[in-house]
Amino acid sequence: MPKTARPKTAVLAFQLAGCEYQPPAGDQTWTGQLLAARPGAPPASAGALRPRCVASRPRQLCLSARRQQPQQQQSAQETDADTFDVLQDGTDHARYPPLERLPASVAGYPSPLPERALKSAKLAALHARLSLPSKIPLQTLARALVDGSADENPQFNNSNLAFVGHTLITYHVAEWLMCHYPRLPMSIVFSAVQAYAGDKALHQVARSWGVETAAAPGGEVDPGLLQFSLDKPTTTVLKFGYKRTEAAYLEKFKWRRGISSRVVFDDDFGGVVKSAEPEEEQEDDDLEEAEEGLSPSYTSYGTDKTRQIAEKVHANFARATIGAVYAHCGREAAKAFINAHIMSRTLDLSNLFAFKHPTRELALLCAREDFDHPVARLLSETGRMSRTPVFVVGIYSGTDKLGEGAGPSLDLARFKAAMNSLKAWYLYSPGGNVRVPSDMLVEDAKPWEPAHIDIGEIISR
Amino acid sequence: MTVKALQQLTTGRNGVGAFILQCKKMDIHYCDWAGSSRGMNGFIKSILPKFAAANPQIEFVVSPRPSKHPVVIGHYINGREKAICVRNLEPLQILKKVELLRDASGEKLRKVNKPVQSVNESVRGVWSPYHGNGMAV
Amino acid sequence: MEARLLRRPAATCCHRLLASSTTPAASLLPPVTLQFPSTGARHKSTTNRTKRALNIAPHASFLNKPSATDRIIFNPPSSAASVFHTPFKFLPKTDPRRRANLTSLFASSASIQFNSPSSSASDAAPAPGTTEDTLPPKIGGRVGRTHHMTKEDVLEMRRLRETDPVANSVNRLAAKFGCSHLFVLMCCQAPREHKEKHVAAGELVKSRWGPRRRAAREDRKRRLEMLFRGEL
Repeated sequence: MPKTARPKTAVLAFQLAGCEYQPPAGDQTWTGQLLAARPGAPPASAGALRPRCVASRPRQLCLSARRQQPQQQQSAQETDADTFDVLQDGTDHARYPPLERLPASVAGYPSPLPERALKSAKLAALHARLSLPSKIPLQTLARALVDGSADENPQFNNSNLAFVGHTLITYHVAEWLMCHYPRLPMSIVFSAVQAYAGDKALHQVARSWGVETAAAPGGEVDPGLLQFSLDKPTTTVLKFGYKRTEAAYLEKFKWRRGISSRVVFDDDFGGVVKSAEPEEEQEDDDLEEAEEGLSPSYTSYGTDKTRQIAEKVHANFARATIGAVYAHCGREAAKAFINAHIMSRTLDLSNLFAFKHPTRELALLCAREDFDHPVARLLSETGRMSRTPVFVVGIYSGTDKLGEGAGPSLDLARFKAAMNSLKAWYLYSPGGNVRVPSDMLVEDAKPWEPAHIDIGEIISR
Repeated sequence: MTVKALQQLTTGRNGVGAFILQCKKMDIHYCDWAGSSRGMNGFIKSILPKFAAANPQIEFVVSPRPSKHPVVIGHYINGREKAICVRNLEPLQILKKVELLRDASGEKLRKVNKPVQSVNESVRGVWSPYHGNGMAV
Repeated sequence: MEARLLRRPAATCCHRLLASSTTPAASLLPPVTLQFPSTGARHKSTTNRTKRALNIAPHASFLNKPSATDRIIFNPPSSAASVFHTPFKFLPKTDPRRRANLTSLFASSASIQFNSPSSSASDAAPAPGTTEDTLPPKIGGRVGRTHHMTKEDVLEMRRLRETDPVANSVNRLAAKFGCSHLFVLMCCQAPREHKEKHVAAGELVKSRWGPRRRAAREDRKRRLEMLFRGEL
């Protein structure tokens, strides 16, 4: 039985030396086997694996003194083969060479060192898969993959980038909705923004990018993996909003939160801004877990809570990526990226409405707009005396038909027709090629034509 | 009394807006000794560097698998993987297989009967027997 | 049976003429509606006859009518109207679609002729000449507000309701004063013991319901909620 070597991932010299093959394309993994396993080849072939074109390496970001020091140590110790052990777990490293040569000190860091981003094949592949411009260095993308729960230092986690990204996404989604559907009620706008830019949607976006997660965060993790901790979720506030003084009582006593106050106080989706440190809840959860004797991180799919954390972390990665695009490539590139990955998703806005008294609301609308009082008229019917009748009812204002609906009874059909009429009012759109305010920020933009602004909701709360 | 909002979720379609290559990783296994890997060794030496350079979206991992037939395994974004045994194949034939893996979506192979699959509503609406005048037959 | 046998060759002949030729003579022929009796069964005695029966001619709007100029065939399928097609009345004053649709701007009335084939399009322009009379029949009782009640009427209504809530029930008061029962409910307050008696009587009735009736009532309520959420 021949010896089996574990697969090795490394960067080949030819991948970095050639002019036509630069990072991220240059960071393809390769095995060290062909080069290193030859009898005459130097062990680990450290020289051959080091990129030659140092000048073209993207500039390293966010290097504090804390991280520069071990870097120098590493360069001093590179010749000493004994320090390259990743983990002192008694593995026969001659037979099973480690995937990557790492200094022993990396295990002390909560997240991988920035310079390791240049050697990660997963990271380079992710960079290329997203068609990110070469202006965005791999170190920034690596930073976008580190959640606040993995590394608390805001200089090394993605919280700042995610905040920028979140603001940009919600801005673009909101301005698009406002210009394309000017009559949408505010509650529907909140819901639509959440459908595009909420945690669930962005989680799906991040998953569709093929990003993989690390089992646990740490300094030795591949920088191309999403790193977060389920045990101590991040407490960083990533959404803008005010903390309500009565926040504790809202849930308890079911206090009313008006839409206007949501616009002022709450976050971009109309949700209450929670306090940054939910310590009491966490303790309770820990107790429950201890009672169950099952830690959420050890089940295969996790609990609802862990899935929620993972969802949020994935969403923050997507946001941080957009923040990185904005930071390195500017406004237009970020807008194009958001259009390509988020605004291109499909949402049927007519499914967002839930009515309570559609006929009364329609009557109020007609009274406000000086239309004739709406009248229900029976357009057609079949099987009135049967078990399954169908009535088609139209709502008329004067002689204009506002909408129609079919239902198994006259009342249901009338309600449905009123609902359709109201939806037709709310979903008015000036057209598909309406310009949004951010279109004016490009140079030589045509003069702005005012967008249609509706006078307001029929019944405001 | 007022209208309330329901929570929905947007659905994305790959290629509408942005296209993400579904193959994210490719494992390439070979054997130094066995004859069935001769073509694979040639492929790794001569063709793979160019192929890897042309497809930076894919992470390539080359590793030996002694005394076994050469295999190419593609890993996809949807979590599935596809493996193709390339024993006794010539380098160019292996290139064909590798391209097949690169272009695959990772989904199970199934017969597609409808030429168009869309999440958008038909612009003509869903036919309903209760509307319009119909046609006397 | 004999009549059908006789009719079939004639109908197929007529059908062929209609489908194949564009001569004026063909278009003058009566439409293919006489091809099969409308009361006929869904299937015929043999497969061949069934197939031929199901093979109906295209709609009249698709047939080539001879005309001097090119024309557009407008033949949308019958479907429920999309809510994304804003009715003409709902278009804002500045919308270009309002200005472009001059015919409906000047037409005084109804969106669509009730019987026209395009009655599904809710944004269709009001056809000129439509009046309230030509529209389909109204459903429901009186609609709109008349504002005929005076302060004295309301006071009288309250007095009646307080003195004898049984004889002066909400519906009777509504009929007497010519207003809706909702208006009566808004104005008047029945004595507490009457309300309690009313609620108790309702509870008694509900307690006599069997499982089927109770389930049917609950389902009906649930269906209404589903309708308001747009799930029906």
